[in-house]
Amino acid sequence: MNTPWFSFSAQDFSYAFISVLLEGVPFILLGTLLSGLIEQFLPARWMTRLIPRNAFAAVCLGGVLGVVFPMCECGIVPVIRRLIAKGLPVSCAVTYMLAAPIVNPITALSTYAAFRGQGAAEFTTLRVGLGFFIAVLGGLAVLNLPIGAVLKTNVLESLTLSGPGGGDRLSPHSFLGRLIAAMETGVRDFLEVMVYFILGAGVASIFSTAVNQEIFLPLSLDDRLAVPAMMSLAGFLSLCSSSDAFIAATFVAFPAVAKLAFLVFGPMMDLKLAFIYSAVFTRRFVGALAFGLFILTGLLCLRLAVVLV
Amino acid sequence: MTWLFSRLAAAGVLLIWGATLGYFYLSGRITSYLHPAFHIYTGLSAGVLLILSLALLLTIPNGSGQHSLSGIGIFPVLVLTIPLLAAAKLSPSTFGASTVLNRGTVDSLADLPGFSPPLHPALPRADGSATDGTLMDPSLYLKKNAEGYIVAEAVDLLYAADEPTMREDFENKPVEITGQFLPSHTGNPHGNRFNLTRLFVMCCAADARPVAISVQTTPSIDLPKMTWVKVRGKATFPVEGGRHIPVVVAESTTETDAPKESFLY
Repeated sequence: MNTPWFSFSAQDFSYAFISVLLEGVPFILLGTLLSGLIEQFLPARWMTRLIPRNAFAAVCLGGVLGVVFPMCECGIVPVIRRLIAKGLPVSCAVTYMLAAPIVNPITALSTYAAFRGQGAAEFTTLRVGLGFFIAVLGGLAVLNLPIGAVLKTNVLESLTLSGPGGGDRLSPHSFLGRLIAAMETGVRDFLEVMVYFILGAGVASIFSTAVNQEIFLPLSLDDRLAVPAMMSLAGFLSLCSSSDAFIAATFVAFPAVAKLAFLVFGPMMDLKLAFIYSAVFTRRFVGALAFGLFILTGLLCLRLAVVLV
Repeated sequence: MTWLFSRLAAAGVLLIWGATLGYFYLSGRITSYLHPAFHIYTGLSAGVLLILSLALLLTIPNGSGQHSLSGIGIFPVLVLTIPLLAAAKLSPSTFGASTVLNRGTVDSLADLPGFSPPLHPALPRADGSATDGTLMDPSLYLKKNAEGYIVAEAVDLLYAADEPTMREDFENKPVEITGQFLPSHTGNPHGNRFNLTRLFVMCCAADARPVAISVQTTPSIDLPKMTWVKVRGKATFPVEGGRHIPVVVAESTTETDAPKESFLY
């Protein structure tokens, strides 16, 4: 290998950084505007009617919401924050957050297109199925955690201020007044999430431009190394879930399970997302979530290696 | 930090973001950053951000009661503006050689993002004889310039190397191809080849993969890495390493401006 494993160029970094921002901002803006509208116009009683009483069914519903209300991973955090405020259980919100970028129809179609000729139907089914399954397991794990260990103090305080039922206090103002309040909420969420997005995009851009990606190639020979290597790569590259399949499909040297691990782990947790999640969740929870998802996805994919040979 | 300062700061941040996104969209600079499918979202976002900025200024409430926009400090404002403006100023709108080399070049069709191998052979003719797969007169889809050179892209030659029918359309024909110069360190036994690269993009520059074909020159040439060059020569597909690879035997290699669309999609 002639190229050193790390070679930083400020200009290349700036180029990748700006391109990630230009690509991601529209989706974050959409998510935050939606969050403002949810805050002002969605009555909490709708949410309590929608959620099944059975905890397992409720968590599964969180995963299904990802199909019905597709959101990309960048824009979803402000939405779940407001849904939690409206009474969506945190476990359901986490399941929705993890599942939505994978189970939505756009991601499924792009995965199918990217893997045509490489078992597209099986690959897409496995990606969507495994993504849903892991998201539900993630939600079930959160079910047993105290809410204070999951949500940041300021988010928790805003819930407490809203009162039980997640704030069914829709603003008494006129429609225009509520629209202005929705705008203010949306703008606040946008600015808050963007701080984390910028930090995450910066770290991801360093890795995507400065690290020689060929260092991962020798790991492709053994499933036990290839799977964590591809998950690490997904974490570093922080790709958009609607297009990551096209990149994964090009890693022809890697076994199918490693590519599957790349496609399941990446949309749930990467450098950029770790920062964005920190806008709502405690650092400790984000760290534990990253660790848990890495181990769980890795083990399940290695188990699937038998099927995918 | 007063609530009024917070509101003005928020409006200012939105204004800067809206103006920056609008500048990238309206100046056409965005073509060097995003796949065309995403351009409209950036343009719309610029408009929405500017409208929000204006709306925040026009709806400043009277009095200093509870405001959902209070508490925006200096640090978030700096994080939200300085990196964006600095990167927009510093970014050359193209990658340098180090990132291209770090990502590794795509030099075969199987490694090309989005490529799907054909699932089935072409259907036989009505009389049962095998078809060669050609459905169209090549002159209809191979664009030629005034001097009779086929104007091709690096990806076309990667496809031709892999597809026998397409290879016939190009083999030993004069081609003109534009890309960026990179020295070739592998597959270059006589030291007279360089890599002609183009960035292949699925979504944005952050996921760009460099596509490369070999160009053979006599005598060998040396240029600054990533210089845009126009190569005219003959397309050949020698078997090396057990497969056909595209090699353009150059008649001329001249420096040129970057094309308006620097990416391949």
